[in-house]
Amino acid sequence: MDVIIIGVGPAGLQAAIHAARGKASTTMIGKTEDSAMHGAHVENYFGIEGRTDGSDILKRGLTQAASFGAEHIRENVTAMERSGDSFIATTENDTRIEAKAVILASGISRKKLNVPGEKEYFGKGVSYCAACDCNFYKGKRVAVIGDDSEAAASAELMTSYASHVFWITKDTKASDIMIRKAKDAGAEIISEEVKEIMGKEKVTKIMFSDSSMINVEGVFIELGARSSSDLAMDIDVMPNTDGTISVNERCETPVKGVYACGDVTGRPWQIAKAVGQGAVAGMNAAAYIKGDRVV
Amino acid sequence: MVTELNDGTFDKFIEGNKLVLVDCWAPWCRPCRMLAPIIEELAEELKDKVAVGKLNTDDNQGIAYRFGINAIPTLLVFKDGVMHEPLVGLRPKEEIRDYVLGL
Repeated sequence: MDVIIIGVGPAGLQAAIHAARGKASTTMIGKTEDSAMHGAHVENYFGIEGRTDGSDILKRGLTQAASFGAEHIRENVTAMERSGDSFIATTENDTRIEAKAVILASGISRKKLNVPGEKEYFGKGVSYCAACDCNFYKGKRVAVIGDDSEAAASAELMTSYASHVFWITKDTKASDIMIRKAKDAGAEIISEEVKEIMGKEKVTKIMFSDSSMINVEGVFIELGARSSSDLAMDIDVMPNTDGTISVNERCETPVKGVYACGDVTGRPWQIAKAVGQGAVAGMNAAAYIKGDRVV
Repeated sequence: MVTELNDGTFDKFIEGNKLVLVDCWAPWCRPCRMLAPIIEELAEELKDKVAVGKLNTDDNQGIAYRFGINAIPTLLVFKDGVMHEPLVGLRPKEEIRDYVLGL
């Protein structure tokens, strides 16, 4: 494979169209419903009059990209790695895809749960990074909150440290493989909606919408798929502290062969800007594969 | 310069400096890796005002336990030996600088 595009929102789809038309073998990885555009009504994009469902435009864009030869894997990417001059993406079904170039286009992280107690207890039991903080919860009861494969992976990870792990997932979207791994590791699945994170100086319990409660000392919030900035770090691209990734006018990151476009490069979070950057990233990635240079 | 601290050298470093910032981190923590260059820049910029150290919480669990650290990165801040509210998580350089100098 020449080019992997992570994310199938407006930036990723436009990048796929240009990369595929530029004769690069291209694979798009992601789910259109994870794009911020999916639930949006579009009325400020050139050539589209009236309110148009973002989901409809995404669907057409996916078909269009496929018509130019881009392949689509409808899964989330759970990890990236470098292998010599190439890059390998691993998906939630353990599929591994290697390519010479990567375009990061899966948006920015919007991962707050927005329940009472979340902000107050951040750093006092509430964490957004199981991999960072697992060591502080040895022998303690913890909860992992989230519906995607990322949450399942964190629940599995925490079973190696905590005395008991609750995986709270109201509407599971994780892959069967990841669910099985979490269950086999001993995570207890709870299908409730979190209403409040409670405690005194530190977290002591979680209350659900039906007013039932569980006692925990740690709450790991792992919402959504891994964002572009999370994945970028796997391949040595360091995001800024606000989660954005800096690119130059060719949408190149400091790592050769890695491009970023769309919301992850910063504001404005607009479809027009995402599409523009997607085109630039797609053309430049295709040119990079052929050894040309596009400005 | 960022001084590498451990459970044995930590207290002396706090006692020996008026204003102290300690970056508590671990090798596998991605946000910690993002914060590290910011802390190095701050150490250089504030070298006349703030003593900056870093502590690997994986190797030095005594200090982590003593200060109730259960998330990293955490920045511990001390003025005249007294601990102030820590800064938890990845923060922009300006926020860290303003907080420390505002004590």
